Amino acid sequence: MEEKPGQDRIPDTPLFDRKRSLGGYRINKMAMGLSRPENREAFKQDESAYLDRFGLTPEEKEAVMTRNWREMVRLGGNLFFILKISAVDPVRITEIGAHQAGMEHDDFLRNRLGKKV
Amino acid sequence: MAKLIGGLGTSHVPSIGAAIDKGLRETPDWKPFFDGYIPGQDWVKEHKPDVAVVIFNDHGNSFFLDKVPTFAVGCAEEYRPVDEGWGPRAIPPFKGAVDFSWHFIDTLIDNRFDPMICQEIEVDHGIQVPMELFWGRPAEWPVRVVPIFVNVIQYPIPLPSRCYEMGRVLRQAIESYPTDERFVVLGTGGLSHQLQGARAGFVNPEADRAFLNDIAGDPDKLANMSREQYVEMFGSEGAELMMWLVMRGAMDRDVVVRHKHYFVPASMTGAGMIVMENMATASPAVAA
Repeated sequence: MEEKPGQDRIPDTPLFDRKRSLGGYRINKMAMGLSRPENREAFKQDESAYLDRFGLTPEEKEAVMTRNWREMVRLGGNLFFILKISAVDPVRITEIGAHQAGMEHDDFLRNRLGKKV
Repeated sequence: MAKLIGGLGTSHVPSIGAAIDKGLRETPDWKPFFDGYIPGQDWVKEHKPDVAVVIFNDHGNSFFLDKVPTFAVGCAEEYRPVDEGWGPRAIPPFKGAVDFSWHFIDTLIDNRFDPMICQEIEVDHGIQVPMELFWGRPAEWPVRVVPIFVNVIQYPIPLPSRCYEMGRVLRQAIESYPTDERFVVLGTGGLSHQLQGARAGFVNPEADRAFLNDIAGDPDKLANMSREQYVEMFGSEGAELMMWLVMRGAMDRDVVVRHKHYFVPASMTGAGMIVMENMATASPAVAA
């Protein structure tokens, strides 16, 4: 049962179901590792080697290394885990949101969150 | 017997904790949000609860996807802040209400709820932020806690009606607990927000305000909604609002709303707070 993007019952709203959890297990486990200081250090020293420790596929690795949040989520990354990447390589959560929405950051703040910017 | 003196509801957005840590309380972005909690903090100071039962979800910090309990109850002596990626936050550890936790677990099992039992566990912003919002930053917490973890991340997540039913069992546990301690129950999470997918940044202030009315006046309606309706109305992460139903289920049908506050956006979230008391035992209203 291959689920294509866009098949979610609520449009543009990926629910973290069995399929996503299985598919994203490697990415999420890698990101969960970043809750330990020694792993954060390893990620900073040699990101590629750190990712290899968790057996990420080339596609997954590229999504992480290019900080392609939309792609990480598409591959089953769950934001609560992959957010830990932003503890090592800082980025605001609103920037992660804007990236997924395909919007400029200011537009995102204004039009989605109703902020006056 | 122990007494339930209030039901509190609040958001638990991690940026709130970060804003406190960075001293941003008085900045224009945050001041109106924090000021709205002052009446809630005053209520807590005046009513001095002994025990806080806090319903929240872990955010991939204390549990990974290898083991996902639908409901878990802490019965530890102490709950330390967990490292969420930025190092454990410098807040005092929470003291556990151990004896009540076990009594609650007994009562749950007797009523066909079968939670995971946690004697040693660290806790994330899901409980930290609500405690800071109502109790501030004391050197030591003046209240002991009972953490209830609800899985709202890995599907299948529980039904909203199940959360409501768990609240009824919590009430039974409080009412049958042979001490004269004063309990508050905190439902946490929400309100509307979505962090994932192209609909990221979705907030729904109208639905949030209606929720703050209905949680007091028409909780049955909220308990009868489907998970999908929660996601649609409050966003994929906002669906966690169903955890407020555990708190509401522990209360009487008729409640008095003491305080209510809504602010949007706190980071990417519609943030809300409510303080309720059972009407039958409500403290005399403070003259306006």
